[in-house]
Amino acid sequence: MKKLSVIAIVSSAAFLMQACGDDVQRKPSRVYMPDMAYSVAYETYSDYHSRLGDSIFYNARPVAGTVKRGEEAYHYEMLADTTGSYDKSAAMKNPLPQMDAEQLTEAERLYLVNCGVCHGQKLDGNGPLYKGGEGPYPAAPANFIDPKAGGGKYYAMAEGTMFHSITYGKNLMGSYASQVTPKQRWMIVSYIKSKQALQTAQSTPVAAAAAAAPAAKDTTKK
Amino acid sequence: MINHRPSAPKSIFFSFFLVLLVSGFGASAQDIAAGKALFISNCAACHNPLKDGTGPALHGITERVPDKALLHSWIKNNQAVLASGNKYFNDLYNSRGKAAMNLFTSLTDAEIDNIIAYVESVKPDEKKPGPGDGVTPAAESDNTLLYGILTLILAIITLVLLQVNSNLRKLSDDKEGVPAAEPVPFYRNKAYITAFAIVLFIIGGYYTIQGAIGLGRNKGYQPEQPIYYSHKVHVGNNQVSCLYCHGGAYEGKHANIPSTNICMNCHMAIKEYGANSEKLYREDGTEVNGTAEIQKLYAAAGWDPNAKKYTGKGKPVEWIRIHNLPDHVYFNHSQHTRAGKVQCQTCHGPIQEMGEVKQFADLSMGWCINCHRESKVNFYDPKTGEGNKFYSIYEKYHNDLEKKKIDSVTVEMIGGTECQKCHY
Repeated sequence: MKKLSVIAIVSSAAFLMQACGDDVQRKPSRVYMPDMAYSVAYETYSDYHSRLGDSIFYNARPVAGTVKRGEEAYHYEMLADTTGSYDKSAAMKNPLPQMDAEQLTEAERLYLVNCGVCHGQKLDGNGPLYKGGEGPYPAAPANFIDPKAGGGKYYAMAEGTMFHSITYGKNLMGSYASQVTPKQRWMIVSYIKSKQALQTAQSTPVAAAAAAAPAAKDTTKK
Repeated sequence: MINHRPSAPKSIFFSFFLVLLVSGFGASAQDIAAGKALFISNCAACHNPLKDGTGPALHGITERVPDKALLHSWIKNNQAVLASGNKYFNDLYNSRGKAAMNLFTSLTDAEIDNIIAYVESVKPDEKKPGPGDGVTPAAESDNTLLYGILTLILAIITLVLLQVNSNLRKLSDDKEGVPAAEPVPFYRNKAYITAFAIVLFIIGGYYTIQGAIGLGRNKGYQPEQPIYYSHKVHVGNNQVSCLYCHGGAYEGKHANIPSTNICMNCHMAIKEYGANSEKLYREDGTEVNGTAEIQKLYAAAGWDPNAKKYTGKGKPVEWIRIHNLPDHVYFNHSQHTRAGKVQCQTCHGPIQEMGEVKQFADLSMGWCINCHRESKVNFYDPKTGEGNKFYSIYEKYHNDLEKKKIDSVTVEMIGGTECQKCHY
């Protein structure tokens, strides 16, 4: 009888180990010396609930009136009220000097990461989210590359207006101010304009040879 | 049983037929195709046939505005129609926050008819039986349990045979008259006890060590998040770049968790999870209602999808952090993604296939060091012009590379395994 009970205990223990092993792990594992693992000082994305009483106020915004280094020339103060600012935005000048090939590659990367998903890798307004009306996005994104799209609107559009649309959004497009810095916005605008210039040059064969602009290499990755 | 009520497809067909009558011409497939092309290039930026966008959904417009001439003049020059004081259009204009529609004076009547034919030909999404329907994700067949039971059975057979053997020997000894030794019960048999102690020591030791090493490690950690956000749907199916939401991974130390305004960039327009898209399941097998999850986002962002306004009553989504390095380790994302050109998937696993995110690597020190020993540094090569010029200070390695003494430089060789690189 004793033999049987030993066998029963061993087998049930083995079964329990099996049963517990395969579950989805919904709880974090135990930590040896938690104060060495979890920061005592406040870190980004740590749980602030336990510290609410300590009158710690954490806000990731930059201090008012400060400018990011390297962005001095491109500093842009967000407007509190955008009524009528869209029409005035055409007067804004692109402060970015002519981009070299390296900067153009970076601008293309920025475009592909932030804009390409809707406006398309080829700037044709047919990104994976729209897919000619098959994708989940219900509205057709702007087609920057077709000279006839929107009556040639995007060829004629001032760079300042494009900057304004990226900064504050337009129609169904949201504001990208939190994702791309003012300098990066100008880079994206310049990239679109350079692609349009290339398109114009290609459609008029005489000018094509002259405007063989530094074509951006396709090395950008996800 | 005879169903006297017209079914939904019939009524749609009927209304389509009505459209044909009203518009007074036979809308052929070509007209509809031409209309679709015109619609996409002129109207689709603001309108969708079935969904409310910047402008209203257009399906059924011929029933709402039966006067064809009025509709034509509205599409060509809506400001003139508004000025003429038409009640329907003025009401519509006011109800949509007086957002003016563009003028389309260049469209001809025939073109507009084609557009309308296309708009009316679009049928509301019907539930099509998709490939994944009705099939719950099959539980992965697990052979471990089977092997365990087999081992157990074999062990029992061995025990039984041993007993049988000893009994038989006792019998034969009795027969031959050999005086049998005093029988020792198995729990006092020294050989058994030793074997048992050794086995227990090995198994117990294994689990103790595994448990101690596992302290603070979270490989496979997969908490249930406040909103079922599927990386598979966003990154895998819809090809949103990782950096669209986690741009900080390229810019700085932290891969930021996107705030709700980044979600709203798309979800202001995408209000529901497509009825024909593949079904979503949580890890425990329950089905996820994608549209309800988008509603949770609206609540968090404080967005009223009907009024299309922010109520200002949002509250942050409290995502549960999965990847967490101990406080005594310094880790910088941009150093790896931008300078090192490491792909996100190297450490985070096949994130584009994950419905619920799971920690892929154990994030242990051994795992870090291993990668630092194996990864090659992208030295600048003056011949091809490729590579990172930052490493030009490692002159010795550059010379060795040139003399073919070494064929590549690993992270370890430039100090990637020194303690103070990560612990300070």
